[in-house]
Amino acid sequence: MTHYRITHTTTYTYGDPVSLCQNVAHLTPRSSPRQRVERTVMSVTPEPAVFEERLDYFGNPVTYFTVQEQHTELVVRVSHRMVVRPDTPMPTATPPWEEVRAQLRRDRSPAWLDAYQYAFDSRFAAAGKTPSDYAAASFTSGRPILDAALDLTRRIYMDFVYDAKATTLATPVAEVFETRRGVCQDFAHVELACLRSLGLAARYVSGYLSTLPPPGRPRLVGADATHAWISIFCGDAGWVDLDPTNNQVPADRHILLAWGRDYEDVSPLKGVILGGGRHEVKVSVDVAPVS
Amino acid sequence: MPSGLSDAPATDTNHPWYPPIPGGYDEAHDPAGRLRSHWTPFFKALDELGPAELAERWRDAQHLIRENGVTYNVYGDPRGMARPWQLDPVPLLIAPAEAAHLERGLIQRARLLEQILADLYGPQRLLQNGLVPPELIFPNPGFLRPCHGVRLPGERFLHLYATNLGRGADGHFRVLGDRTQAPSGAGYALENRIVMTRTFPEAFQDCRVHRLALFFRTLRDTLRSLAPRNKDNPRIVLLTPGPYNETYFEHAYLARYLGYTLVEGGDLTVRDGRVFLKLLGGLQPVDVIFRRLDDDYCDPLELWPDSTIGVPGLMQAVRSGNVAVANALGTGVLETPALMTYLPRLCRELLGEELWLPSVSTWWCGDPDGLRYVVDHFDEIVLKPTFPAARMEPVFPSELTKDQRAALLEKVKARPHAFVAQERLQLSTAPVLTGNQPAPRKVVVRAYLAAHGDGFAIMPGGLTRVSSGPDALVVSMQRGGGSKDTWVLAAGPVSDFSLLPAAGRVELTRAGGDLPSRAADNLFWLGRYAERAEGTTRLLRGAAVRLAERSGLADLAELPGLLRALALLAEGHTPLGIPEDPGPAVVASVFDVARPGSLAGIVRDLRRVAGVVRDLISTDMWRVVNGLSDFPADPAATFGSDGPTPAEVLDRLNRTVIGLAAFGGLAVESMTRGEGWRFLDLGRKLERAMHTIALLKGTLVYAAPNEGPVLDAVLEVADSAMTYRRRYMGTLRAEAVLDLVVLDESNPRSLCAQLAALEDDVSHLPRPARLAGRGPDQRLALAALGAVRLAEAEKLAATFDNSRPDLRTLLDEVGTLLPALSDTITLQYLSHLTAARHLSGTT
Repeated sequence: MTHYRITHTTTYTYGDPVSLCQNVAHLTPRSSPRQRVERTVMSVTPEPAVFEERLDYFGNPVTYFTVQEQHTELVVRVSHRMVVRPDTPMPTATPPWEEVRAQLRRDRSPAWLDAYQYAFDSRFAAAGKTPSDYAAASFTSGRPILDAALDLTRRIYMDFVYDAKATTLATPVAEVFETRRGVCQDFAHVELACLRSLGLAARYVSGYLSTLPPPGRPRLVGADATHAWISIFCGDAGWVDLDPTNNQVPADRHILLAWGRDYEDVSPLKGVILGGGRHEVKVSVDVAPVS
Repeated sequence: MPSGLSDAPATDTNHPWYPPIPGGYDEAHDPAGRLRSHWTPFFKALDELGPAELAERWRDAQHLIRENGVTYNVYGDPRGMARPWQLDPVPLLIAPAEAAHLERGLIQRARLLEQILADLYGPQRLLQNGLVPPELIFPNPGFLRPCHGVRLPGERFLHLYATNLGRGADGHFRVLGDRTQAPSGAGYALENRIVMTRTFPEAFQDCRVHRLALFFRTLRDTLRSLAPRNKDNPRIVLLTPGPYNETYFEHAYLARYLGYTLVEGGDLTVRDGRVFLKLLGGLQPVDVIFRRLDDDYCDPLELWPDSTIGVPGLMQAVRSGNVAVANALGTGVLETPALMTYLPRLCRELLGEELWLPSVSTWWCGDPDGLRYVVDHFDEIVLKPTFPAARMEPVFPSELTKDQRAALLEKVKARPHAFVAQERLQLSTAPVLTGNQPAPRKVVVRAYLAAHGDGFAIMPGGLTRVSSGPDALVVSMQRGGGSKDTWVLAAGPVSDFSLLPAAGRVELTRAGGDLPSRAADNLFWLGRYAERAEGTTRLLRGAAVRLAERSGLADLAELPGLLRALALLAEGHTPLGIPEDPGPAVVASVFDVARPGSLAGIVRDLRRVAGVVRDLISTDMWRVVNGLSDFPADPAATFGSDGPTPAEVLDRLNRTVIGLAAFGGLAVESMTRGEGWRFLDLGRKLERAMHTIALLKGTLVYAAPNEGPVLDAVLEVADSAMTYRRRYMGTLRAEAVLDLVVLDESNPRSLCAQLAALEDDVSHLPRPARLAGRGPDQRLALAALGAVRLAEAEKLAATFDNSRPDLRTLLDEVGTLLPALSDTITLQYLSHLTAARHLSGTT
């Protein structure tokens, strides 16, 4: 069991005063078989006039808040205490991917119907010829679904270059395929588009990644980051997380916040403001293991 | 009016109007060509009128439609926003028994659809037990996940629901499509009815037609019942996408008829989880939103992020139960035609009844059986996208070339889920009188239902749409079709209830309702454009008259001054020189829309703003603006290659002055002095003051030895010549002219009179009670008024070195204060009209 203390601060600084801001935040972690949330707190400055929490359609905790007093800076700070299991048991044998696809189309039992919704196009991860062709090399006839997906994850890791300057938040998958550059959410969208092109169910996962300092150096506070990866539905073997950015099967260093069809469903913080002029955003994340 | 009308054969009931169409069903004639019995009273009434009277009345009706400004905006139509509404004089008649049949079927359908919605946005059992394919819901852009689990007032989703009905060759009606989120056309149906009853009152009486008013009262009662609070007097708004929407006329029309405030997304704001209307006096809570926006446009925060016409936070306000939206958000999910395949089974499962009114045969290609049928019968079907958001036009494979057809078939096989096929119904025909001869045209009827208690009530009428030609494959207003009124005939006597005089007891009130800030802004600009048009016309007329009367510049000492004033207004500075022959420049200033400050451009802007505030000004004011002369974009096409003659130019200018004077008169005489009038008046007075300043800066600021003609021109353009002559007879003196045009507060055209009116208007604007002293707008208005009141005519007229320095100083001072006043008013009252925008996202 790894215990974490996480703080995640988002600061917006505005050139002109903002008279009204309304926000939707996916900043409260959900529990899963892999992790337990012991404590989570969100604080917003200035004090929000409305602050409502609920679960969204996908079962993620979501917070709606509005700041109605004039302000030039908005700070949203969350801190969590979590327990994450060190190792996820990997399914040893998974069915051929075509079997999973066929059963998704026909099985209306709760687990399968729930999974099926992630097999369809979403705005940032839609099926297409390019992703379909790219995925074909991994998804050969009769190959066990997880085996094929691990291969696809590895290929994306090899073929695409991590480049924080290459993309914006809303880069279409087609463009990422073109440049072969991007960041974690781009690679997640690429892999989702590939899997959906095959008719498989896969979801976008937003969370944190705990970074390890080089040996002998102290851990740098704030050097950690929010992160994104995917999860693929392997039939009765269940959902398995895959991280194409690091070519890993997430274990105790990946901490889950929320999942959805793509970035848009679970973006950590979105908002609409009145006024503000030019604005800047700073995000700082600290994921500290505690014993 | 169609010339054919007067040639129409005698509408003897023994003679068909056109030969029967083989194999088709005609609404008015049986296969043998005899008139169907329920049509006889109508044709008899028409017969009694006689062709001449009929033509005459229909001319009046067309006039009424134009004058009321009934329009339907067709995207890409050169007439654009001003395409007049197409109405045919022959209504579609529906017999009592048939109406009862349709009523039963449509009410059942509405109940069924509402149960499906309750399930999809709730337990989703229909997906689990396979009654609705998940492929029609999960990827459906109309399935809005944020709406799932939201509790709705009365658990109702559909408050106004519409279907398109078509009758096949077998004589049976079928549902062609459902409109579940924000159905359009009910307002046009109402307008059609008003035109028809005014045009053919005898026929309307004789046919015993059901009235529409009761239906609208039901709709109004239903919307009122949704209010989560203020149940006695809820504030209900009609939310429109804006004047560029194809059915904007209808939004304004319905808002006025139902007594709701017409708002755009920018007029509303969400605070404390509640929706407020931005009024001049502050924020007022809104209880019910009757929307004409599509689902996903309604909230850029939680729904479609790129929507600029929605209300950020609306979804949360709905979720909190603080506002009701009709129809409920998310109802668009049912607009996939593929669902129709599953309705018979759903009806049995959910209602325990057989589906009473069939849909047109529909095959969803995502279903293997459906795909097989479509592949085998590809030439017999019309192909549509599964989700209307895909914006694919219906395709008739039989109309394609061999290659196109094969390519389309491949596309369908590759992505079967994305396509729906429907049988090609041979739609019934009805007689129209819009061609050269009475002729059959295909018809589609849009029927409307309103939620009523636990069930639904049907509109006894509807909007009948007519194909553009006898062989047209699609019946659509966007495709150039027309419309008909729909008369549902009563078996017994009809109620003559009317909504037009308000029902029930009326609270006496003198407030005209509160004014949305955006409306104030638009009225302000309406005033400015109207006055700018008038001032510019007067100046141009002054120049045109002189050019028409004399030949050369040499005899026209006053002309350069007028041209300088025009340039000042148009471009903000005086030109360096005056062209040898200013004629072409004057003509261009009248007709050339692209020329800065041209009259054609100002009139265009005036029309546009008037269109936007159509629901706030009287019909007469709208008519006056609508009736202003057209300034053809290409004068050569209208006037010949030599362009308009001076007389033709003058004629247009004279008519424009009269039209604008009528507008000003109506503004003074027929508007109550509410906030709306204040803003309109502010705009007019501000613009007139600026105009007078430009006129004097172009003319009298320069002094010349022989000033008579210049003084004459100034008096004429400032519309003060009569007063001057009465006071001073023939003696023209600069100080007397300046006294009358600048200082005399009793002259309604003087600069001082404008400033006094501005000061009065500003002092009547709403402001917080706690504020002591004058606001910045009041101080500016008072400063301008004070400067002019303290001036002396003799000093203003004093010359020094060919100019009048005191006059120039005064005009400069006031000319700086007025734009500052305009900016201050905008800042104080209209600044919260700034658009909302998204924060940049984070990872």
